[in-house]
Amino acid sequence: MTPNMSTVDQSHTYSEGAEGFRTEEMILNMGPQHPSTHGVLRLVLQLEGETVTHCTPVIGYLHRGIEKILENRTYMAGIRYMDNADYLSPMLNETAYAGAVEQLMGIEPPRRAQYIRLITNEMQRITSHLVAVGTYLLDLGAFTPVLYAFRDREGILDLFEQLGGSRFNVNYMRVGGVLHDLPKGWLSRLETWLDAFEKSWQEFDVLITGNEIFMKRTQGTGYISPEQAVAYGVTGPIARASGVNYDLRVNNAYGAYREVAVRPVIRYDGDAFGRYMVRLYEMKESIRLIREGMSKLPGGPICTRTPIELRPPRGETYFAVESSKGEQGIYLISDGSEYPYRAKIRGPSFVNLQIVPELMRGHKMGDVVAILGSIDLVLGEVDR
Amino acid sequence: MPQNLGFLIVHFVVTLVFFIALVATNAVIMVYLERKVMAYMQDRVGPLHYGPQGMLQSTLDVVKLLLKEDIRSQLTDNAIFSLAPMVFFAPVITAFVALPFSPFMTTGAIGTALILYVALSSLDIIGVFMAGWGSNSKYSLIGGLRSAAQMISYELPLMLSLVGVVMLTSILGHNGVGSISFSDIINAQLQTPWLWFILIQPLGLLIYYTCGLAETNRAPFDLPEAESELVAGYLTEYSGMRWAMFFLGEYGNMLIVSSVATVLFLGGWSGPGADLQFWQAHISANPGGIFSVADLVFNLIAVFWFLVKVYALQVVFIWVRSTLPRLRADQLMQYAWLILIPITLVNILVTSVLLLAVPQPYTLWVTGIVNWLMMFVYIFTLTRIIQASPAGKKPVWVNEPTNALGFMPSKTDNALPAGSETPKLQSPTPAR
Repeated sequence: MTPNMSTVDQSHTYSEGAEGFRTEEMILNMGPQHPSTHGVLRLVLQLEGETVTHCTPVIGYLHRGIEKILENRTYMAGIRYMDNADYLSPMLNETAYAGAVEQLMGIEPPRRAQYIRLITNEMQRITSHLVAVGTYLLDLGAFTPVLYAFRDREGILDLFEQLGGSRFNVNYMRVGGVLHDLPKGWLSRLETWLDAFEKSWQEFDVLITGNEIFMKRTQGTGYISPEQAVAYGVTGPIARASGVNYDLRVNNAYGAYREVAVRPVIRYDGDAFGRYMVRLYEMKESIRLIREGMSKLPGGPICTRTPIELRPPRGETYFAVESSKGEQGIYLISDGSEYPYRAKIRGPSFVNLQIVPELMRGHKMGDVVAILGSIDLVLGEVDR
Repeated sequence: MPQNLGFLIVHFVVTLVFFIALVATNAVIMVYLERKVMAYMQDRVGPLHYGPQGMLQSTLDVVKLLLKEDIRSQLTDNAIFSLAPMVFFAPVITAFVALPFSPFMTTGAIGTALILYVALSSLDIIGVFMAGWGSNSKYSLIGGLRSAAQMISYELPLMLSLVGVVMLTSILGHNGVGSISFSDIINAQLQTPWLWFILIQPLGLLIYYTCGLAETNRAPFDLPEAESELVAGYLTEYSGMRWAMFFLGEYGNMLIVSSVATVLFLGGWSGPGADLQFWQAHISANPGGIFSVADLVFNLIAVFWFLVKVYALQVVFIWVRSTLPRLRADQLMQYAWLILIPITLVNILVTSVLLLAVPQPYTLWVTGIVNWLMMFVYIFTLTRIIQASPAGKKPVWVNEPTNALGFMPSKTDNALPAGSETPKLQSPTPAR
C-alpha cells in the first residue's frame, strides 16, 4: 500500500500530542477495491488516530471515454451511451441528451411524448433514490433495507422492460419523442405498483427514519451550509437538504414539467440525515407527479418525424434536466455534420464530489462512509 | 446417582464428546440458521440447493474452507499471525467447562464458574489484537485497536450486570449464602417453581445481552469487522481455515453468551418435564447400568430445554443483526462508559438495598417490580435523550412551491404548444 505522495499533503504528517509524544499520521488508501466506495472511488485518507485530517479523492478508475464516444456516434446512436454514464438513472440521462439535440434543432416533441418522459423520469428518480437510501443504510451497517429497496425497484425495472425491452439500459428516448408507445395495460400495472410502493414507503419511513442509531449516526454528520452548497456548485437533493431551493423542474421547467407543478422538498438540516429525508420525500413527490402525469396524459403521436441521420444546424447549446442526483446537463457543439463536434456531460455526481474532502475533515473514520453514502455518488458518471 | 469410578469415566467421556460436538456443530447450525432466518426477514429464500431446504450448505462451506489455500502477505509477522486464531479459539472451548447443560452434563465441580467465564471471555481480546498486529495491514490494525477498546469497555458492564443475580441467590440459595456456581444459581431458580431471574432482574438481562452483543462483535456493535468501513477489520488478511477458526470462535462465543444468559436468567435446564422426582416415580425400570432410565430421560429433557433456550437467544442475535445499523466507534464507547456502567451500578445499589430493607415475604415482589420499572424508565429515557438532542429537532420541511432564487418562469411565456399536433421539423443544414 504505497501511498501516492503527490496527492498527500506533507505539511503536517507529524504532530505532537499533549505529553510531547511524536505521533505519526497514518495514510490509508480506501479503495478502489473497497466495499463501500460505491464502485471504484479511491480516497486517500490521512488519519490522526481515527480522525480524518485530510481526504483526497482519486478518480478515473471507471473511465470509458463516454464523451469521446459521443463524438463518434450519430445523434440518435449517442443516446444509448448516456445510459452508461449515470447507470442508476438512464432515463434521465437520455432525456438530457435527447433534449439537448432537440434544443439544437428547434424541435418540440409532441405532448404525449413529453408526458411519457415525465412519467418515466419520475419512475427512474424513485429507483435511483431507492438505491441511494438502501445502500446508504447498508453502509451504516443495516443489512435489511437494501433488500427491501431492491425488491421495490424490481417492479419499475419490470415496467421498463415492458416499455423499452430492456430493464437497465433502456435506450427508450429518441430525438423528438420516445421509441414506443405505452403497451396495453401498462398504465394499470404502474398504478398497481404505485399503490404497493406507497405502503412500503410507509414501512421505510417507520423503520428507518425513527431509528435511534440511524439518527445518532447521521444527524450533524457532514454538514453543508447553504453558502457552501452554492459555492461548490452542489445541486440536487444535497443542495435542497441544505436549504437551497434549486430544482430545475421548477426553476427552469422543461418538457411536461411546465404543466405539472413540482413541489420541491426542502430541508434546512444540511447534514446526512437531511439528505436522506429529502430523498425519501422526493420519492413521495415522484409518486404524486406520476399520478398527475397519468391523469393528464394526452393522446396523439409519440414522436416527431425525424430522420435517422440528424444534421442539426451549426451552433452550440446547453440543456439540463433535474436528475436524481442534481443538474444533469449536456453541452453540445454541432458543426453541421451528423456527429456532434463536442458533447460535454455536466454530471451532478462529479460536481458533488468536490465537496467531499471539505466534509471529511475532522470527522471520524466511521463517518467517512456515512458522508460518502449520503452524497450518493455514481462513479460511472464521475469518471464517464 | 452413584458416584463410583465407572460413573466418573462415563461422565467425563460423555460430557467431553458432547461439548466438542456442540462447539463444532453449533457454528454450522448457526450459519444455516442465520442465513435462513435473515432471508426470511429480508423477503428472500436463502440457501436452497444443497440438501433439503439447503441444509447442507454450511457443511459444504466448511469443506470449501478446509480446501482453500492459506494466503498470507509477505509483510505478516508470521508467528503472531499463525498463533492468533488459536489464541482466539482456545478460551472459547475452555469456557464450555463451566456450563451446566443438565445436572449430569456438567463438570459440576467448578464453584467459581461465573468468575471463570468472565476471565475466559476477556482472554479473546488477546487473539484479536494479535491478529490485528500480526497482519501488518492498516485495516487490520484499526480493527484490532477498536476491538481491544470495545471488548475491554464492555467487559465491565457485563460483569456488573450479573451481580444482581448473585445477590438474589443469597435470598433463594439452599443455604442462605450467595453463590457464583452455575449449578447453584440454577438450583436457586428452582426453589420456588418457575421463578426465573428474568422476572426479578429484567434490567440485568437487557444489559447483559447488550454487552454480550458487543463482546461477540455482533451487530450493532460489529465495528471491529465493520464491513463498510474496514473491509473485514482484523480478519482482512486471513483466509481459509485460519479465518474459519475466528469464525468458529465467534459463533462459539455467541453460544456461550447465550448459555450464560440461559443459566443466570432463564432458569437453565428447567422446563416442562425436567423433573427428576416425577420420572423416578413413573419409571422404575433399571437395566442394571450405571444409572437408571429415569435419570436418562430426565437428563435428555433437561438438555433439550437448555438448548431450546440457547437457540432462542441466538435467534435474537440474528434478529438484532438484521434490524439495526451500526454505531460509530466513539458513540460505542460513550454508550458503555456513560450509560451502561452507571445504570448497572444503580441496579446493584437498588437491588441490594431492597433485598436488605424489604421484609421477607415481599422481598422478591418488590425487587422484581422495581427492576421492571427501572428497565422501562431506562429505555424511555434513552430514547428521549437521543431524540431530544439539538440535532434531533425536526426542522420544518417546505412543501409549497417557493421562489427563493427568483427566476421561476411564469406559465405563460414557457408554455407547451396547444393541442397535440406534431411540430414541423426544421430542415437540417447540410454538412460542410
